[in-house]
Amino acid sequence: MPSDPTPLSDAVLRVSDLRVSFSTRQGIVQAVDGLSLDVGRKEVVGIVGESGSGKSVAMYSMLGLVRDANVTITGSVLFEGREILGLSDREMQPVRGGEIGMIFQDPMTALTPVYTVGWQIVEQLRAHTDMTKRQARTRAVELLAEVGIPDPKSRVDRYPHEFSGGMRQRVVIAMALSCNPRLLIADEPTTALDVTTQAQILDLMEKLQGTYGSSIVIITHDMGVIAEMADRVVVMYAGRPAEIGPELDVVRHPRHPYTWGLLGAVPRVDAKSRRLTTIPGTSISPLDVPVGCAFAPRCEHRMDVCSQRPLMRGDGSHQDACWLSDEQRVAIRTKATAQEASS
Amino acid sequence: MSGEVLLRATDVVKSFSSRGTKVGTRSVSVAVNGVSLEVKRGETLGIVGESGCGKSTLARCLVQLTPVTSGTVEFKGVTLTGLSRRRLRPHRREMQLVFQDPYASLNPRRTVGDIVADPMRIHKVAGENEIVKRVENLFVTVGLDPSYLRRYPHEFSGGQRQRIGIARALALNPSLVVADEPVSALDVSVQAQVLNLMADLQDELDLTYLFIAHDLGVVRHVSDRVGVMYLGEIVELGDAETLYERPLHPYTEALLSVVPELNDTDAPKRERILISGDVPDPSDRPTGCSFHPRCPIATERCTVEKPALVEIGPGRSVACHYPRNTA
Repeated sequence: MPSDPTPLSDAVLRVSDLRVSFSTRQGIVQAVDGLSLDVGRKEVVGIVGESGSGKSVAMYSMLGLVRDANVTITGSVLFEGREILGLSDREMQPVRGGEIGMIFQDPMTALTPVYTVGWQIVEQLRAHTDMTKRQARTRAVELLAEVGIPDPKSRVDRYPHEFSGGMRQRVVIAMALSCNPRLLIADEPTTALDVTTQAQILDLMEKLQGTYGSSIVIITHDMGVIAEMADRVVVMYAGRPAEIGPELDVVRHPRHPYTWGLLGAVPRVDAKSRRLTTIPGTSISPLDVPVGCAFAPRCEHRMDVCSQRPLMRGDGSHQDACWLSDEQRVAIRTKATAQEASS
Repeated sequence: MSGEVLLRATDVVKSFSSRGTKVGTRSVSVAVNGVSLEVKRGETLGIVGESGCGKSTLARCLVQLTPVTSGTVEFKGVTLTGLSRRRLRPHRREMQLVFQDPYASLNPRRTVGDIVADPMRIHKVAGENEIVKRVENLFVTVGLDPSYLRRYPHEFSGGQRQRIGIARALALNPSLVVADEPVSALDVSVQAQVLNLMADLQDELDLTYLFIAHDLGVVRHVSDRVGVMYLGEIVELGDAETLYERPLHPYTEALLSVVPELNDTDAPKRERILISGDVPDPSDRPTGCSFHPRCPIATERCTVEKPALVEIGPGRSVACHYPRNTA
């Protein structure tokens, strides 16, 4: 088995036991419940999960974007060896947008409609570097050209509404990259886009990662996007990591029953599909997460021991949180494959 | 499949006129530009395309929710276009819709039982007692507990709401169900449940589906035949299997090549064909072939001569001067 691919010295981001809870009138919502994750240099890590799995909240709270009297965030987030959890807004200011770039899901709301895109890029450059206005503007035009916006010299003075969805997302990417960040966090960067535009954007992100050498954390619900982009995957369920491992291992040899369900439920473009496997029931209410395994109420392979919370375990880089033994998993998977073949 | 044609659309055009960018001008967007298609009894015809390609407008035209600008729609041999609302009403029972957004398509102020019962009340299919009994049965059919009848839509999850939407569509025993992006708002595990439910219902109730979606995987999964739309036109039509294995139109080919795949086998990855730019404005259509400005193989001819949708094999049509994969 390969050793852990991200030794401490090389990790750009090191998240340990991150917990985020919201206290609401109905009770405590544990949105993120014990996430640990290392992101290596130039590594692309995908976080995949369904709505409400806590994938976005985890990222936002790391960056200090979730601040409220009703929120409790614990754990540790080391960015290049420095603790960033609990930093004040003033201390976070050079980090956010400077050392850590962000791409959001909806490019229309990520850009302000009342200023030109050039103004917005210049503002960011000026906030994080000591460029003059003129230098920043030249750089803004270069950035727009780099992300493939035709005629950047005139487009720089246009407003966001004058761009299509895909073009807007390119602008957002240009902004995210403007200060040459060491880490890029992309939250559902292509979910709002059509498939041909999504392909353009994913292609662009891959290219730019080559040039800029940033590490990327990409949050998505789409296993296909993960397969396309990520080196490593974290599968989240109910605020907890269910499985972590290299992308190919997770897709080809998934270990957690939730990952089995998630992969089996995707209708395929590349093959005649059989009946889709489903996960019975719906995502559990965040107010009502069981004490034991969070997935147990929907799991077909539930056992008595599942009333206790499973820890992440596994060999080296590929780990999961499930009580099934290796023999049990092999037996279940072999049976499933046999059933599939006979139907 | 008996092959009997249930619904036939001939040269359907739908255009919307709106105020132009300059004072006193009007601009005309052609959302559906001359679509002809047939839906056969018992089959699922999938319509796939990107946002703005006119697939939802087409669906609304086919079931007469929107009057067509020109062209005809026939259902079971009766021409529906041009019928008065009253004459249309008996036919509406037979064509029901399932909508995309399970939050917006259910009235929040009515109980889900009433929502499912209303179509039967409006069409006066039975007395109230009988209707309640049928609603209970419908709930069971779509996998919901009949004891939830008196609850309101907000008490249900997205997947459950979509089941309610399906129950409502089935209330009048339609022969055609038009589903417009029925699963795109759902998480993948719930999406699979709803797709499986729709497949079971089709077998049990002998339904015909017109299934509209942007997700190529979903469309392949559910469809017997697939039509690919681009800028208000059907550019390719064919049996789902062959269309996905051997796309003829360069747009279909590119579309299929860019869907992110799970590389869970050692099969070589498909080469991505990136098409540049965005879908043109439907009020300012390119000359010739609508796809030519983005097409990797367009020639001079494509900029002037519009290719018609022609049948080039049994059940296989394409609108392209230079179809791919024909050898």
